[in-house]
Amino acid sequence: MLEGIFGNLDLFLFLLFVVIGYSCGTIAEKRHYKSIIKREKELIKLMLVTAEGRFADGAVHESFLVSGSMVVSNDYFKRLLAILRNFFGGRVKAYEPLVDRARREAILRMKEEAKTKGAHMIVNLRLETSTIGRSANKKNSVGSIEALAYGTAVVMNRP
Amino acid sequence: MIMTNIGSVPGKKIVEHFGIVQGSTVRAKHFGRDMMAGLKNLVGGELKGYTELLQESRQEAMDRMSEQARLMGANAVVNIRFATSSVAQGAAELFAYGTAVRVE
Amino acid sequence: MKFTPKHIDENVNVSKTHPLAELAWLVGGMLLLALVFYLVLGVTADLAVAKIPIKAEVWLGEHFVDSFEANEDEPLRRRLQRLLDNLPADSPLHKYPFTVQLVKNEEVNALALPGGHIVVFSGLVEQAESENELAMVLAHELGHFAHRDHLKRLGRGLGLTVAAMLVFGEDSAISRLVSNLFLVTESSYSRQQEADADRFGLALLVNSFGHAGGATDFFARVGKKAGRRVPYLLASHPHPEDRIKELQSLIRGNGYPVEMNAPVGDDLLSEAEPEQEAETAVDQ
Repeated sequence: MLEGIFGNLDLFLFLLFVVIGYSCGTIAEKRHYKSIIKREKELIKLMLVTAEGRFADGAVHESFLVSGSMVVSNDYFKRLLAILRNFFGGRVKAYEPLVDRARREAILRMKEEAKTKGAHMIVNLRLETSTIGRSANKKNSVGSIEALAYGTAVVMNRP
Repeated sequence: MIMTNIGSVPGKKIVEHFGIVQGSTVRAKHFGRDMMAGLKNLVGGELKGYTELLQESRQEAMDRMSEQARLMGANAVVNIRFATSSVAQGAAELFAYGTAVRVE
Repeated sequence: MKFTPKHIDENVNVSKTHPLAELAWLVGGMLLLALVFYLVLGVTADLAVAKIPIKAEVWLGEHFVDSFEANEDEPLRRRLQRLLDNLPADSPLHKYPFTVQLVKNEEVNALALPGGHIVVFSGLVEQAESENELAMVLAHELGHFAHRDHLKRLGRGLGLTVAAMLVFGEDSAISRLVSNLFLVTESSYSRQQEADADRFGLALLVNSFGHAGGATDFFARVGKKAGRRVPYLLASHPHPEDRIKELQSLIRGNGYPVEMNAPVGDDLLSEAEPEQEAETAVDQ
């Protein structure tokens, strides 16, 4: 049997990576989502809009740009799913949690930055996603995803 | 679900707002579309297959976003923005986000 | 304007399908596609290959046989000629410029290469204990030529490797997997092809020697060393016992007589082991 393993070493390693990817990836994802949901509930009071704010004269104490970003990479198992899906087309379900997590985390970090600086709300939110990483632009490979959230944080003059 | 990409809904008043809503979808093209696109590379012209694909994806992203707004109790989404990015070889992510509000 | 923050627990942006279920669907779909492709390609390859004229095949053969360094073996040639002389006059086999070579190799095997080249390994010749047995082996190889089996095998494997490369690219691991897979599975004849070659060989043997003695001797001896049946389920030739049974039922069905076999001539392995003994094989 050992001969069989060494003979097909690349296939064997591939399967091993897939299994490791699946188990570790699922655990990491669950943990991350728990943390995201907890922090979202805590920070929910901080108002966030995509609109530009209109403020009465003298209402604003100060305003500044805040941003938050996160880079996530996919695990080996999800990468395999994406490659197979590429053949048939359709929704790449393996990637949905990836971008979702990245973006929500980016928004949370931005909110956290705004909160530490004492802001009461964030206006004109913008979200950007891009692929980075060494293998991002090569064929048949998966890069990592960066999600960026930025907006204008406003500290009101409390009466 | 009313959707606008300006700060308000013309003719209506915003009475309550709920925060950000986002909808995203990741779609891959399939082998057949790729071959047709390759052929079009020779003759030029609109890649109808891809146009349809991206339109469907955009619609799906907007549907997910308005579903999230509905769950919050909103009846309109204002200040909508779109973003497209490629997340993997052959797959693109369509993303829509806006502010969920209730108008009257 | 009132601000009512609400946290939604349901995640609209993530599908509820379990990733393992999705994997099962995708892999299943790929396998199904590959299977359909294989079947279609196999059928077309077989049909196409049967049409290749013998002259073209001979040209192909010239490119293959240089890989074996051995010259035509006169004693074997004479035995082959005896078989060829006993073929019906209209047999397409007459169009082949047959050559038969003896290669020093312990393996008990014989190959039929495109173009009418037969290669016999010395291991096989050493195992033979009668002229009839040897003739049966050569006649069996002639059967493969008559059915163009060797071309069919080549055609199918090649067609699939090319298709895999077109779809997945030359460097892809999948292309390598496909070409290795087909090297292994298509490197031997299918069981049906082997059985057909056995039947052809038996008929030719009877035509040449006048009786069917020696047809099963070889397999009987090889079969004793072959062991259990189970490994043969996946092998390309039938288990020697099955071949013997099939041949015996053919002999009975056609009413072939069975007589004494001729001992192996001394001229056969003159440069090889001098202790080669010729025995008379008793008929079964």
